[in-house]
Amino acid sequence: MVGVSVGEQNFIKGGIAQDLRTDGRKRLTYRDIYLETGVIPQANGSARVRIGGTDVIASVKAEIGRPSSLQPDKGKVAVFIDCSPTAEPTFGGRGGEELSSELALALQVCLLGGKSGAGAGINLSSLLIKEGRVCWDLYIDGLVISSDGNLLDALGAAIKAALTNTAIPKVQVSAEVADDEQPEIDISDEEYQQFDTSSVPVIVTLTKVGNHYIVDATAEEESQMSSAVSISVNRAGHICGLTKRGGSGLDPSVILDMISVAKHVSETLMNNLDSKISAAEACEDES
Amino acid sequence: MGLPDSCQDLSTEMEVDAFRRLFPLRFFERHLSESLRPDGRPLGKARDTNVNLGLVSSADGSALAKIGSTTMLAAIRMEVMTPSTDSPDEGCIAVEFHMPPICSPTVRPGRPADEAPVISKRLSDVISSCDMIDLKELCLVSGKAAWMGYLDIYCLDADGALFDAALLSAVAAFSNLQIPVVALNDNGRIVAINGDGEQENNASITEKEAVNKEKRKLTLKNIPFSLTCILHKKYILADPTAEEESIMDTLVTVVLDSSDQIVNFNKSGGSALVGSSAIKSCVELARKRGKELKQILGDMDID
Amino acid sequence: MAAKQRDAATTYSPRIIARTRPPIFKDSDLDWTRPDGRGFHQCRPALLQTGAVSSASGSAYAEFGNTKVIVSVFGPRESKKATSYSDVGRLNCNVSYTTFASPTLGSQGTDHKEYASMLHKALEGVIMMETFPKTTVDVFALVLESGGSDLPVVISCAGLALADAGIMMYDLITAVSVSCIGKRLMIDPVTEEEGCEDGSFMMTCMPSRSEITQLTITGEWTTPNINEAMQLCMDASSKLGDIMRDCLKQAASASDE
Repeated sequence: MVGVSVGEQNFIKGGIAQDLRTDGRKRLTYRDIYLETGVIPQANGSARVRIGGTDVIASVKAEIGRPSSLQPDKGKVAVFIDCSPTAEPTFGGRGGEELSSELALALQVCLLGGKSGAGAGINLSSLLIKEGRVCWDLYIDGLVISSDGNLLDALGAAIKAALTNTAIPKVQVSAEVADDEQPEIDISDEEYQQFDTSSVPVIVTLTKVGNHYIVDATAEEESQMSSAVSISVNRAGHICGLTKRGGSGLDPSVILDMISVAKHVSETLMNNLDSKISAAEACEDES
Repeated sequence: MGLPDSCQDLSTEMEVDAFRRLFPLRFFERHLSESLRPDGRPLGKARDTNVNLGLVSSADGSALAKIGSTTMLAAIRMEVMTPSTDSPDEGCIAVEFHMPPICSPTVRPGRPADEAPVISKRLSDVISSCDMIDLKELCLVSGKAAWMGYLDIYCLDADGALFDAALLSAVAAFSNLQIPVVALNDNGRIVAINGDGEQENNASITEKEAVNKEKRKLTLKNIPFSLTCILHKKYILADPTAEEESIMDTLVTVVLDSSDQIVNFNKSGGSALVGSSAIKSCVELARKRGKELKQILGDMDID
Repeated sequence: MAAKQRDAATTYSPRIIARTRPPIFKDSDLDWTRPDGRGFHQCRPALLQTGAVSSASGSAYAEFGNTKVIVSVFGPRESKKATSYSDVGRLNCNVSYTTFASPTLGSQGTDHKEYASMLHKALEGVIMMETFPKTTVDVFALVLESGGSDLPVVISCAGLALADAGIMMYDLITAVSVSCIGKRLMIDPVTEEEGCEDGSFMMTCMPSRSEITQLTITGEWTTPNINEAMQLCMDASSKLGDIMRDCLKQAASASDE
């Protein structure tokens, strides 16, 4: 945790109330986002995102698996987050575990949509190779290297970039086999398919400090929060997931207001990320 | 030790509750000398007991048994297994006793209670040794398929005499058990036939003969009943509460079957040595208790 | 002998589990009814009872249709794992399922870590932690039978159990969920509805203060839908709050006599 004196606390709160934060930003301005793709060569896709002092890496690994019997027409996606103790001493041991599972749960909620698959950022049906028999299992791993607030937004952005960077080999399924047997598959070395990531939502976390809420809070600002709402919004402006952190309650009208603000902010963020991602992809292709 | 004297003096002026907490043993012994227990029962009397059947709709048979405030929920799920080669025409019953953290302040999540596996094992022994269920009745297709009954008993409130309540709920759950109607399908698997709807799913098996034609109950040949008693000095206390169990530690459990034969006898630890006359009185109390319980279960069956 | 067989023998349930989305909503939104015949904006009848477990400081039993839950509250008592001094109290939550809670769940009657952390988040805002420094309040829930909307029922039941235990709170706590299927919003969904929902919306609030302590949304939602769902949940919460208050009053007057 960040040690903040009473004077500093008042300074942070006062700044937020007057729309001028300690680092000179306005309430609804993000810090500069630095984005790099293809940072882990052995993964199918990867990306590193730095927002101020927050630094995260996301990687996507695809493996051949078997669809679950409850959803034979869909592939599977699993999200794991690891908070490295190097990022903050409290991440060592149980503290890191709790935060990791909380972040993974929030990301799962934001990316995978409802039970029927509506509103999912990743179309699970596109991961299917042969119904009931073979599918791709996507393992999305996030690693927090350095933490200075707003981890969820950074991880969401990194996963979006990593998915864009992901190339999955084309797969040929051999001719019909007996009912019970696993069909033979032929994984192509040359042909790859890419994901359509246009529907992957971005996550905007609004942190409430005093009577106001801010985007992209730093760790210092987060230490003063009463509650935070993370909202994931897709390109169509629909809400794809929402989670709330922090103990204190919120009035329903405040939440509705936060949702509309988040929608507004997400548009700029989405465009910003998209241009950064395509620039990073182009840069990787050249090298 | 000047303690006994001083506490005797204190007991006259101290508040009853404080005395109960500070000198629990003396508190109980004072009661016992008057042949009465703190909850108003005579020594040999069990607490109010009642049984409710069929409360869990997701199970094939279930029962809730309450003895005083000790509460047990037992449920049986029937699944299909391949019988072992040494007994190709017998099914199987698996018993497990759970003490979830809700039931008592001493149980914490992640650390299962010490007594749970012990009671599990004793229940499983009693149920298999007293000949209550004919395992051959659980056979579906000899050598191919048989029923596996999973009996899970959850302690919802632990207030002493756990084994008695658990056994009572298990017996009641078996009496409530309805074996589902099933048939053998083309792939050699057993599937359930629902009387209503879902006909399209069963198209392939309608011609096949149902293995188990109608919902049926198990015949319970021999029903075991148990009574736990505390032996303390010359006193015998039937059906102890958790408080009594924590103060006086010599417990004797007698399990009798329908014809009053002893199925299982258990004296677990404790400092008191048990004379044969004490054992005889325990068995006599258990016999009386068995009659009561039979009555309670009998009333259930009429409903 | 029998217990060992349990691990060795592989068994299966003869019941057929529906694998496809039931054709409940195709084009004809209007003439469809819910599996239990309720209206879309109608909750299941709630049965609430305090004092279910005698050895706990406070406890409650809740039954919403087939969803049956017991919650026990222990404490405030000595912290078992706490290492450092804390001038506010601690809250420890656990949610577990019985092995027979649901036919599709299989025999895994296990702890539900996800629900435990959601329960913790829902409760921490409503309890006055400063009233029991250095100690822990344990909230343990057991789902006896799962019939849909399990987490909201657990949270509401826990709120009642906390009140029964005399733990100081700012208000009662109620939780309600809404499922979105097609264009329809359905309050208090059952298992079948939850299995094919397009989106879910769960809200925990303090009914008298009308403050939201926890909100989780999954699936794709438009703003008008969120507005409508929130309104539905607020109305249901205040009704549930009244039922809970009556239940507590009854228990109190019974103990007076």
